[in-house]
Amino acid sequence: MIARIAALIRFPFGLRGAPWLPLIVLGAVLVFAAGGEAFAPQDPNGLDLGVSFHPPCWQQGGGLANPLGTDNLGRDVLSRIIAGCRISVIVAFYAIVFSGGIGALLGMVSGYFGGKADALLMRLIEIQQSIPAIALALILAAVLEPGLNTVVIVIVLTYWSWYARIIRGEILALKGRDYIAFARVAGVGTPTIFFRHLLPNIRNTLLVLATLQVGQVILFEATLSFLGLGIQQPDVSWGLMLADARQYITNAWWTITMPGIAIMLTCLSANLVGDWLRDLLDPHLRQL
Amino acid sequence: MLLSVRDLQTHLHLRRGVLRAVDGVSLHVDEGETLGLVGESGCGKTMTGLSLLRLLPKGAGRIAGGSICLDGEELTELSEREMARSVRGRRIAMIAQDPMTSLNPVFSIGDQVASPFRSHAIARGARLRQAVVDVLSRVRIPSPAERLGDYPHQFSGGQRQRIAAAMAIACTPRLLIADEPTTALDVTIQVQIIALLRRIQAETGVGIILITHDLAVAASLCARIAVMYAGRIVETGPVRQIYRAPAHPYTQALLEAIPRLGGQRRRLAAIPGQPPSLLDLPAGCRFAPRCPHRMPVCDTYPPNTSLGNAHRAACWRVASQ
Amino acid sequence: MIRLIRRRIGQGLVSILGASIIIFVISRLSGDPTTLLVPPEAPPETIAAIRATLGLDRPIYMQYAIFLAHALTGDFGISYRWQTPALTLILDRMPATIELAVTGLLFSVVIATPTGVYSALHRGGLIDRACRVFAMLGQAMPAFWVGLLLILVFSIHLNWLPAFGFGGISHVVLPGIALGWYPVAAQMRIVRSAMLDVLDSDHILVSRALGTPEWLIVWKYAFRNAAVPLLTMLGVYFAAMLGGAFVVETIFAWPGVGRTVVEAVFSRDFPVVQAGVLFTSILFVVSNLLVDISYGLVDPRIRDDR
Repeated sequence: MIARIAALIRFPFGLRGAPWLPLIVLGAVLVFAAGGEAFAPQDPNGLDLGVSFHPPCWQQGGGLANPLGTDNLGRDVLSRIIAGCRISVIVAFYAIVFSGGIGALLGMVSGYFGGKADALLMRLIEIQQSIPAIALALILAAVLEPGLNTVVIVIVLTYWSWYARIIRGEILALKGRDYIAFARVAGVGTPTIFFRHLLPNIRNTLLVLATLQVGQVILFEATLSFLGLGIQQPDVSWGLMLADARQYITNAWWTITMPGIAIMLTCLSANLVGDWLRDLLDPHLRQL
Repeated sequence: MLLSVRDLQTHLHLRRGVLRAVDGVSLHVDEGETLGLVGESGCGKTMTGLSLLRLLPKGAGRIAGGSICLDGEELTELSEREMARSVRGRRIAMIAQDPMTSLNPVFSIGDQVASPFRSHAIARGARLRQAVVDVLSRVRIPSPAERLGDYPHQFSGGQRQRIAAAMAIACTPRLLIADEPTTALDVTIQVQIIALLRRIQAETGVGIILITHDLAVAASLCARIAVMYAGRIVETGPVRQIYRAPAHPYTQALLEAIPRLGGQRRRLAAIPGQPPSLLDLPAGCRFAPRCPHRMPVCDTYPPNTSLGNAHRAACWRVASQ
Repeated sequence: MIRLIRRRIGQGLVSILGASIIIFVISRLSGDPTTLLVPPEAPPETIAAIRATLGLDRPIYMQYAIFLAHALTGDFGISYRWQTPALTLILDRMPATIELAVTGLLFSVVIATPTGVYSALHRGGLIDRACRVFAMLGQAMPAFWVGLLLILVFSIHLNWLPAFGFGGISHVVLPGIALGWYPVAAQMRIVRSAMLDVLDSDHILVSRALGTPEWLIVWKYAFRNAAVPLLTMLGVYFAAMLGGAFVVETIFAWPGVGRTVVEAVFSRDFPVVQAGVLFTSILFVVSNLLVDISYGLVDPRIRDDR
């Protein structure tokens, strides 16, 4: 599968339908996340009350020093947006790896072994999904100290069930295949069946699910940070920027719009790339 | 003559190219007569039927030439609205192939059978209900008045086909197109449906075009048949005559391929090769690549040769005899 | 049909019970609210006495049993913050949340259905593509940001609609739009794809062959078939509206359960948090249940199935 993608990328113009713009946007976000402050024209946390509330460069009173304006504490909006990439990427990465990992594992075990454990897991999934995600997140975030770890934990505990249910379905379908039965008859141990036979078959599905999740995770993190339950100062998160900007909505429209546009572009790009990967690798997931 | 089709051409415009599904088909049907349109899957017989109703795939399907004359009126010149208002369901009706999918699952049969009456403003209110009950009893659905509120899934396959037939004959059409009406049904039910069609024809004098790949079904209902291959008619004539003495090599091969009970045991005769792709048709006789009697002259398309008694075949071998 | 309903109700009850356990356990893990209620200089005996009154000195399963017993009689405790019964607080605010959720759902359906049908009919056309782009954008915007933008444009700049509070229709418009914005994309795609599927089916061809007028084919015969998958998702989206309401209510100062719970979470007000989340979950489960039942009404094949 990796080879397939690599083979396709080797022909940039033959790759019909590859969403180049979204890929570039995501690439930029990753680069900013890795490089961090080095790319930001100014210090994201640099307070300078003398330049507070400067509008973006195309408006009266703005300048190229702060192309997207400054916030209430004089911090450069563009630099903060660039700095915010890191949190988004980190949260997305850990949240997806853990929720996908745990969810997939539980789904595999439950689907493969069936019986009481399976019934129990299905009940657990139903119960967890009967609590609205935000509500669950609120309680959890209230229990744990606000911060990066909390956000990741909250997302993991909210989204694991989604993976578990889908992977379980896949495993149930695979379980009936002949080669699994042969393996068992031949006395192959269960862990081997898991890793050699089942896992490779769900790899594509898992990858597609993960990429489809990125957009949602970004939105979720932004919401949590906005409510004050997520990222805290001095870390920079787009959601947090919006929370800060809320009280100045009447006089500083750019502080409300710019971080939101960053969220929207990143999420949109992730969704488009996710859709493209899904169509490429596992189209039967289209009904999701 | 009820229906006269001359040199009909229907093209499907696909991304891969232009598919000539119906490429110069001429046929006619008289009042009260059944014409069988026979051929293997993909030969264009269903497309021919759909062309008569101008129900081609939106955008891609087009009638590229030819004439369709019903009771003297040229159908290719009518607008879409006129087709819907005065032809479809009213003068020409269709019974589709699969009774499992040709009825709308979320509407009662009462509603569905009433729809042609409503669309053509034949009846309303209490008279409408009575008309629905009447047509359902004509197709021998038991206790129709009680079953008006029932849904298609509550009926058997054979009954569903009858309901589809009821919808078709509701407005007493002049011509009925039955597209493989028996293919999806058990043999025992097939017999019932054929009997139904025969009875309807006797009662109303409707002309029927029976589209089928089953030669036995064609023989039991049709007076004449037209054999179709790769978008063209290769042989037409009275059914008994064709079955007794098929003139076109394709017809001969088809009849040969029917397994026979009793007599000597012999290998099933299949026709070697494949029908040509309708995107890329040979210039001459379309059957030539698979024909055991192929001659050099077959590279040009043979003329329709008459063998007397309204029996014609398009074959050089026939022409040269 | 009855058996189906009974089974679903049973499942729903189990879910609600399980949810209550989860909610209870998690909120208890948050720590001791006693410190919020007494001045820091209070003597240990006072603290211990208060803890005993609140039942916080018993083992956790006992606390849950007490909680459950009380809950079944409608007693969810007294709000630490406002000194009124938590249940009253929540139930008083429930109608506002439901009103908001229904408005949001209405908005999304009203936008998504015609655009979805139109897109299906004019597949590949300019409007189809524009709608899909628009919808994709909608799915990438968090509800709270949509709310802020709506306030910015319609309240502050244009001064057409109020940004806060509860009152007549004008007050529910902006929050409703903010809430219903997100699902429009997905709903539109569902309608579009369902319509495309149905319009391709044999029975629609037969309808056409019978001379049925095109508008009737689209809006009566095709649409009812396409409505079935939409109905599934409607229940899911209503439930999602309930969840999304938490954030939207906070932005628009909408007096609903969501805003109350958010505030209660910050003030560690257990009873209100528990009651609020539990009742939202109950609403969630009930709306999913109603969707399952409504299938039977729209799709007659399911009625006789079980």
